[in-house]
Amino acid sequence: MNLLLVGMNHRTAPVEVRERMNISEARLGAAVSDLVRREGILEGLIISTCNRIEVIASAPDQADGEPPLRQFLADYYQCDLNAYQSHFYWHRQQEAVRHLFRVASSLDSMLVGEPQILGQLKRAYAIAREAGALNGPLNEIVTQAFAVARKVRRETAIGTAAVSVSYAAVELAKKIFGDLAGKTIFVIGAGKMSELAAKHLLSSGASAIFVSNRTYDRAVELAAAFHGTAIRFEQLLDYVGKADIVISSTGAPHFVIEKPQVEKMLAARRNRPMFFVDIAVPRDIDPTVNELDNAFLYDIDDLEQVVDANKKQREREAVYAEEIVQQEVQKMMRRLASREVVPTIVALEERLNRIREGEVERHRSRLSSLTPEQREALDALTRGIVNKILHGPITELKSGAGHLEHRTLVQLIRKMFGVEE
Amino acid sequence: MHVALLWLALILYAVGIALTFPSVIRRRPALTPTALGALGLGLLAHATVLAFETVEIHRLPVTDVRSALSFFSFLATLAFFLVYLRYRITALGLFMLPLVFVLTLISALHPGRPFANPAFRGGWLLTHIASIFLGYTAFFLTFVAAAMYLFQERELKSKKPRAFYYRLPSLEVCDELYSRSLIFGLPFLSLGILTGFVWASRMWKGPWELDPKILASLLTWLVYLVLFSTRLSGAWRGRRSAYLAIFGFITILVTFLGISLLSGQHGYIPQLGTLP
Repeated sequence: MNLLLVGMNHRTAPVEVRERMNISEARLGAAVSDLVRREGILEGLIISTCNRIEVIASAPDQADGEPPLRQFLADYYQCDLNAYQSHFYWHRQQEAVRHLFRVASSLDSMLVGEPQILGQLKRAYAIAREAGALNGPLNEIVTQAFAVARKVRRETAIGTAAVSVSYAAVELAKKIFGDLAGKTIFVIGAGKMSELAAKHLLSSGASAIFVSNRTYDRAVELAAAFHGTAIRFEQLLDYVGKADIVISSTGAPHFVIEKPQVEKMLAARRNRPMFFVDIAVPRDIDPTVNELDNAFLYDIDDLEQVVDANKKQREREAVYAEEIVQQEVQKMMRRLASREVVPTIVALEERLNRIREGEVERHRSRLSSLTPEQREALDALTRGIVNKILHGPITELKSGAGHLEHRTLVQLIRKMFGVEE
Repeated sequence: MHVALLWLALILYAVGIALTFPSVIRRRPALTPTALGALGLGLLAHATVLAFETVEIHRLPVTDVRSALSFFSFLATLAFFLVYLRYRITALGLFMLPLVFVLTLISALHPGRPFANPAFRGGWLLTHIASIFLGYTAFFLTFVAAAMYLFQERELKSKKPRAFYYRLPSLEVCDELYSRSLIFGLPFLSLGILTGFVWASRMWKGPWELDPKILASLLTWLVYLVLFSTRLSGAWRGRRSAYLAIFGFITILVTFLGISLLSGQHGYIPQLGTLP
């Protein structure tokens, strides 16, 4: 089997080109069916997301899958592929397997470690299966890609750190409070970012929410959306101390919350910790609040800093993930190679035994005078010769399984002994 | 036999520790089950040693510094294990297990047989020793939880997440571990000190109240009492409590090791009834 992968991603192609090449999920089934119907293509899979398009195909041993694959792309996109040549990458055999494993494990993603790609890959897989485009070794490679992705996720911390500001706020809250169940949030000032952060916090288990805004109606509206309680802006400070997590994003030109006020709140809460997220510019909360024991204050720059650190953390984990992928690619290649060895050995044995039987048959008339014992001896003799001849190539086939040059060896042996594909 | 088993326990601990470190530092959770397996087997071997010794001398094998260290490291590993089952904090091993290893190593390197010290018999003394050791183990946990709290708190305050941020549990979990071990340890320490007093007043002649170790344990008890009441009332929490917990453990170390050299009765010298 020849494996071939052609694709482009966010690094090799600008968004205009990726848009042009995008295949919507609704049309994916027809596209992949078209692909595998072509002469010289056995199986196929097409992944199309906003960051990448990947077309993977397998071709029979003797055939080169590239011409039909090129033709498919040219037909499908109705364009001259040469114009986009620089954006496409082509991978063959082991490199194609590696690329697929890396994509599935989110090592090739824009945000390394983000898990969305695995879901997209699974949908693409389901569509290709339904279209009958995956039913052989490629099917096995793709399902193995899922297993590799799971292994990477399980054995590395690649997907654990938050890489967006609002998730970083949730992550920090968890670092302070552990479980967020039963924790109360206070959102001061309505805004996109604070709403998003509040939503993430609530879905992570936080139970109650207060909302306050300079325009009370807006606070009521937002509180209703979150099943929370609206607080009048003038009464703000009476309630802030009841919340564990405070998200502030007012347009106020001065501090809304100051250090002595927080000090009082902490005393009233018997020093249970408080987490302040100040998304406002200019800032709403006096930065010296962070100096208080059991109070933690993060402004927008601090959150960005956490996100940056988390991204670096993921990159460090990616190095280890690459090692895992490398090992898995080797394993996969070995498995594929040994898959080809067994049928070859069987075919080889059959071929030589048929020759032997044919020859014995041909000389039957001249051997008719033999006693049964002698006939048996002759049988044993010819069988012995065949086995002696077979011994060398079979050992070679078995020991070589997994090596890169092995495929050529298999083909050579097949040719030498006249074994048909 | 004992010594060989103790070495076996030590080797198993070493394997467990050697796997715990990369499992936390390089964040390879796949290593944790094997690490725990090795530690569990080590505990088993260690427990067998202690059981043999108990049967052999008909008392708790805590009759000299060597056996006391061995006993303590057993309890500490057991504590790590139990806490892990509840909280799944592998990072705890990073802080607790190296000490366990060193103490067991010291104990294995001085294979003196625990002697049947006549002073170490009787219910009062048994209760005294067992309670004190349980208390110490709990406070070791308090100390480690406090240290983890301080590391994590510093990361969060600095706003620059570094190694500890990703590897240590949340402040809440550190605080819970710290409070619970404190609540567990204080009654045992109190009971231990109390039974010690009763026993001393019966057995020792002379001004036993002035024994340096007894004075030091009173100080320790006082520190933990303050810690306990301030933490429970919420008056102190977080950083300040954590610092006090660390100070408390230092007083324990001074009491347990330092004063042993000065104290007559607690010097683990098999003599009875006399004070220098």
